[in-house]
Amino acid sequence: MLAFVFPALLFYSVFMLAPAIGGIWYSLTDWNGLNPSYKLVGFANYIEALTDDPIYLKSVFFTLKYVMFMVVLQNAFALLLAVLVESRRRSKVWFRTIFMMPNMMSMIIGGFMWMFIFTKVLPYIANHTILHFLDRSWIGDPGYSFYAILIVALWGGVGYLMIIYIAALQGVPQNLKEAAAIDGANKIQTFWRVTLPMILPAVTIGIFVTLNSSFKVFDVVYALTGGGPGRATQVIALNILEEAFYRNNRYGYASAKAMILFVIVCLITLVQLRLMKIREVEV
Amino acid sequence: MKKVLSLTFGLLIIVFMLTVITGFDRKTQAPARQAELKVFMSFPRFRDQFERYFNQFKAKEKAEKNIDVTIKLEMPNPDQAGQILRARLASNDAPDLFTLHAIADIPTFYKAGYLTDLSNQPFVGALFGNVKEIVTYDGKVVALPLESLAWGYLYNKKIFSDLGLTPPQTLDEMKAVVNKLKAKKITPFELSFQESWIPQLMMALSLGGIVTSEHPDFVDKMNKGKGSYKEVESVFNIIDLIMQNGTDKPFEVGSAAGSADFANGKAAMWVQGPWMAESILKVNPGMKIGVAPLPVSNDPEAAMINLAVSTSLAVSPTSKNKEVAFDLLNYILDKKVSSALFQELKFNPVASVHKYKSYPWVDEAMAYVSKGKAYKDLSLPQAVTDETAKMLQSYYAKQATKDDIIKALDKAWADSIKASSN
Repeated sequence: MLAFVFPALLFYSVFMLAPAIGGIWYSLTDWNGLNPSYKLVGFANYIEALTDDPIYLKSVFFTLKYVMFMVVLQNAFALLLAVLVESRRRSKVWFRTIFMMPNMMSMIIGGFMWMFIFTKVLPYIANHTILHFLDRSWIGDPGYSFYAILIVALWGGVGYLMIIYIAALQGVPQNLKEAAAIDGANKIQTFWRVTLPMILPAVTIGIFVTLNSSFKVFDVVYALTGGGPGRATQVIALNILEEAFYRNNRYGYASAKAMILFVIVCLITLVQLRLMKIREVEV
Repeated sequence: MKKVLSLTFGLLIIVFMLTVITGFDRKTQAPARQAELKVFMSFPRFRDQFERYFNQFKAKEKAEKNIDVTIKLEMPNPDQAGQILRARLASNDAPDLFTLHAIADIPTFYKAGYLTDLSNQPFVGALFGNVKEIVTYDGKVVALPLESLAWGYLYNKKIFSDLGLTPPQTLDEMKAVVNKLKAKKITPFELSFQESWIPQLMMALSLGGIVTSEHPDFVDKMNKGKGSYKEVESVFNIIDLIMQNGTDKPFEVGSAAGSADFANGKAAMWVQGPWMAESILKVNPGMKIGVAPLPVSNDPEAAMINLAVSTSLAVSPTSKNKEVAFDLLNYILDKKVSSALFQELKFNPVASVHKYKSYPWVDEAMAYVSKGKAYKDLSLPQAVTDETAKMLQSYYAKQATKDDIIKALDKAWADSIKASSN
């Protein structure tokens, strides 16, 4: 067994585990990423991040807001699309491909494409039609840039979840639905009472995946606003990047921030899995 | 069959003779020594130019010292170059030669022991005095200056001369110019705030002017933890003026789009350095670019040109081919060919070996320098510069007030003193 997993395990430990443990170690030091010597500072980095760093805390709250929107919207849209695509007959494959397509693309490229849409195409449409409300500073105005980020992230992320939900929907036995129909349930009732409970395991996975990925969101924001204007849309990952590679190059401190992010993601996903599993058992 | 045999035989003889000849040929020349140099430069935009220049160097080194030099040139994006370089240095994988920022990087790199003392190299003698001073640290010349700058803001000479305007030297004159431009329906300032380093340039110039003319001890006081940006609050006067009279939607315009807009006359002035000249001229080859010092107060003497050395080339102390690395370094300021390189890169002359006619905007800036209207780039901690960049973006987006900026910059400065002291 060990011999079987050994190659993968080797890669995993060399490229994932070792750096992760290194990160824990550095988070306890004041290393600046350059100096060969550094000293241990204990938990001072953690204390500073949590008590004396308003920028970091702001980025944490911004990320939480983003996560809340993303978990709800991404799953809702994915489920909606999955149901719609499943209800098609011949065009099913086409729609599935079209909605899945953005997922195939690097979000950095997607981000730049949308950048063009937000800064050039929408103002153009606004100037040439009656849709004047489209002419805004989508990227530059902190009020709108959050929604711009959401739109792009949803565009890129919904397709993948949709596939998961489609697979789950296909696994719902037809006879259950027929039985419900015979009992006089309409389509909406059938969905809520039969289909949704049956696909709850997929919902667990969907929420797990979105929680995980949206806490660590980086590429969309980086490509679209770069965290700006100023730090208005700075997420945790960007804040860590800034701390480590700009400003005072405080690698140790940035590692501590990354560890805090890890703990947050870990705790929240554990709680989520536990809660959802209880629900699943009940069904 | 016979034919085939004789043909193969004949071919064999020819091959044999060829090996003998080339063998003899080889014997007549001593085997060339091999040397590999890893060169790390944050100049992806100049890849072709440097590759050509290094090929000349290879030929020269082969001819003069019989060394076969292979140069591995690495040119990452300037945005990431600093991080990559730091990672390489920290993991004992230092490139033989690498570029760094003279003012921002030399102190930390020197303290970490990543710079070689170059004081005895022949090129040092040729450097201009004010340039040499900037690449000297702890009494030693530690880098070769590549990009030196004399910069203010850029203005569109055609618009200015059409309206009979001259570059203003005081804040009031600037306001008058802004009003005249607006009366003609010309946007006074190009704003391109998508990349945060661009708004930061306004602060660089205005702080430089205010500090040099009114608070010469500001940087010292800040470094001792006794100063505050509150003292130089007047730096915001010109920044406010620029922000209120600029183009729309600045967060959607980066440096490339900004050059295009400025080249097409969308705005009369742009707080950007002459380093953008190449991309401006690419859009509009006939563009007449002017450089002028930014007025910061009502003292005309306070409007000053910034003199700085940015990208410089250093040698790693761990280099295995130091001798060749030094040769390459000196070749960059070679008497015969250096002028052509620096001219092609549109860099300013840094040494007496540079005898070329510089660009009109460089001459214009140098004219101010010769009148004494110039200051040496302030040596601020990198963290403060980064913080300024972010805060000015927030300031424009109305997410931060002047007081917020002052507080944030004071804190950033204090933090970086703390970070560099331990």
